[in-house]
Amino acid sequence: MNKKIISGISGIFVAMLLGALIMALQGYQPFETYAALFSYSLGDFFSLATTLQNSVPLILTGLSASIAFASGPVNLGQPGQFLMGALFATIGGLYVDLPPILMVPFLILLAMLGGALWSGIAALLRQWFGMSEFITTLMLNMIADFFTYWAITYPFYDQAAFSPMTPLINKSGWLPEFGEFNSSVIVMLLAFAGVWFVFTRLTAGYEWRITGQNSLFARLGGCDINKNYMTVMLLTGALAGLAGGLVIMAGPHRFLKGIGANYAWDGVMIAMVANNGLIATVLYGLFFATLQTGALGMELITAVPSEFIQVLQAAIVLIIVAGREYLDIFMDRTAARRKAKERSA
Amino acid sequence: MVDNIIEMNNIVKVFPPSLVALDNVTVDFRKGEIHAIVGENGAGKSTLMKVLYGMEERSAGEIIHRGKPIHFKQPGDAIANGIGMVHQEILLIPEYTVWENVVLGVEPKNFFGRLDAAKAQQQVAQKIDEFQFNLNPIAKVEDISVAARQKVEILKLLFRNVSVLILDEPTAVLTPQEIPQLFSELSRSKENGHTILFISHHLDEVIELSDRTTVLRKGQKIATVDTASTSKRELAQMMVGREVIFTSLAEKGHPGEVVLSVENLNHEHHNGHHFLKDIHFQVRAGEIVGVAGVEGNGQFELVNSIMGLLEHTRGKISVQGKDITNLPILDRRKLISFVSQDRSKMGASVTASIRENSIMTHHRLNTRLTRWRGRLMLKEATQKFTQEIEQQFAVSMGSMDNPFRSLSGGNQQKVILGRELLLNSPFVLLDQPTRGLDVGSIEYVHQQILKMRDEQRAILLISADLEELFRLSDRILVLHRGSIVANLPTDQTNLEEVGILMLEGKEKADE
Repeated sequence: MNKKIISGISGIFVAMLLGALIMALQGYQPFETYAALFSYSLGDFFSLATTLQNSVPLILTGLSASIAFASGPVNLGQPGQFLMGALFATIGGLYVDLPPILMVPFLILLAMLGGALWSGIAALLRQWFGMSEFITTLMLNMIADFFTYWAITYPFYDQAAFSPMTPLINKSGWLPEFGEFNSSVIVMLLAFAGVWFVFTRLTAGYEWRITGQNSLFARLGGCDINKNYMTVMLLTGALAGLAGGLVIMAGPHRFLKGIGANYAWDGVMIAMVANNGLIATVLYGLFFATLQTGALGMELITAVPSEFIQVLQAAIVLIIVAGREYLDIFMDRTAARRKAKERSA
Repeated sequence: MVDNIIEMNNIVKVFPPSLVALDNVTVDFRKGEIHAIVGENGAGKSTLMKVLYGMEERSAGEIIHRGKPIHFKQPGDAIANGIGMVHQEILLIPEYTVWENVVLGVEPKNFFGRLDAAKAQQQVAQKIDEFQFNLNPIAKVEDISVAARQKVEILKLLFRNVSVLILDEPTAVLTPQEIPQLFSELSRSKENGHTILFISHHLDEVIELSDRTTVLRKGQKIATVDTASTSKRELAQMMVGREVIFTSLAEKGHPGEVVLSVENLNHEHHNGHHFLKDIHFQVRAGEIVGVAGVEGNGQFELVNSIMGLLEHTRGKISVQGKDITNLPILDRRKLISFVSQDRSKMGASVTASIRENSIMTHHRLNTRLTRWRGRLMLKEATQKFTQEIEQQFAVSMGSMDNPFRSLSGGNQQKVILGRELLLNSPFVLLDQPTRGLDVGSIEYVHQQILKMRDEQRAILLISADLEELFRLSDRILVLHRGSIVANLPTDQTNLEEVGILMLEGKEKADE
């Protein structure tokens, strides 16, 4: 655990130094830029609340990827599952009206159902025809992309709008806000607590983890591999779908073109940086949300374009992932050299 | 003055981070001798040879070859200097002929710079004659026996004019009948002035073949002795650091009622190849039934069909009268304890913790470990359970939350054995349970197997080691090309008879 924290913090530090160097080379003021970046994402209560809300889709898709990768299935369908979850929640919000206490959970469940349905298709294709989910989930992303685009252009089109989007969902389905603080963060935390408990404390989670490391061993040990595969695919699809639903319910309250942004791929990236650890996924999700939220302020105050944040993110990913492996090798080699010297002396 | 061709002085090898594989080893090899390197698993035999051959870089120390210090960066440097190594696993191209494999990389060229096939064939044939290797140079490697392939490997090195031959457990892949031939070939190359270094587990062959023997233990050299002046017992004692008792084991089992019954088991490939053909046998409670056979004659398929990994089999398998032929694996595991031959692929997840490995299968069958009808795992209960395995089976582990791969091979096997035995199932399937273990661990595993038998469990023991089968089994089945060609009570047969049956698969006379 300690080593992970050291490699994470030192990785971020080195990447930011590298970013400062790039900025300095281009004639910007690195110190000022970073100050603007963090004051706009963490500086006051409003910024902090925005950062937290922005972290929700990153963390949920990140958890989806982490759990899938750590359990074996290569579910890369988070973008599609996100969109299907968002579409399901939107449709429910347009045609159903319940009191908020029922409406919010209802839409949340619909969103999860939408995501799970989409990953479930990939899972069934694998179980029936042996098709690799690595390919099918990627293909289903394209289908979801164009399917939702069609849905908001034709059947659910808002007549009053000039570009493809749905009307606003019923007010009862809007997530409550407490001042600046949006309750989607609470839903995200509950979802995290739930999957963390399943993954680390339940028998099912134990079987998933072992299957992810050695599926033949798990199978010989009596684990039902097929059932576990199905459950993991459905659960991770539901998490990505939940992310989509929460974005609709917390933010624009309607399905707009491009609502998925890059959330899901960022989530996959966060899972990789976090080495599929659940707590690490949450922490890195918060950090990346900080960068992305601060990017806007950075652009406003300084001349540095907000795209610079993508450079910084890429540098962080590469340095942490490469550094994690190299730190181990380096420490091992140093220890070996010291020991060899001792023995031959 | 004795002529040393190679001197290895104060060799240290540390595998990162801190595994000391060789600890200040100093050893010399004389010109024209056969020098055996013996030691338990993990004693550093292979590492020492790989350091010499340039496959592993040494951490400290020096190597002197013909009076000059050398430092090989890669095996090619070693071969260029006349030092060659034959590995345990054979590395040839099966689709190529013998001569093509031998000349690969050093082909004689014709005027146009192309391969001169006629000349190459003739040169290879000449080498075969010179060493009386009895090989057909134009046979394809995939069509010749394992023993012949090994000869091709040795020939490859001789063709490159190697003067020092290193052999890593050369007899491990051979049947008992093929070993004397290898020995006579090695003796012949020695007479031709070659120096032979060979690694072995089998003390009999060390005594028979070598001039001198070096014993390693835990990375340190214990001694180099003239083989003529030592004994098997003395070598074994040096290897393990205590006295080992070589006994053919105590009394036989007292077979009770039938536990495992396999009836007319068949498995064939769609191209008509029979992997299993009319397999029919029983194992009784309190009985150890051994399965002998050259690897690849149906053992793998037999194990997989009992465990439920193999589809499209015909026949019936039952345990204690219950038909398990079509049961899911978990239901089979209620009746079967299973120790696989490959710990890292089937027997454990080496990256998971020791605790997580200890509770596999128990997590479904042992109600003590879970709550909520098996859904919630109780961490404390699993810790207690792991401690039980640690104590009952004398495992030496650091923290039980360390990864499984941090354990030595012997300790890994103890954890697996412990886990499987605590299932308390009536039938125990052991697939090469001592493969890759050192002498001390093998002894321990054998004691545990006999203890299981005395608890009146039914045991099916598959092993490539005939001595192990003869030591433990009450009956021996011989598998040959997917059929059981013999079912012999151990006290009415001998190594030679079983060896011949394994190779020739003579049909059953009666029944």
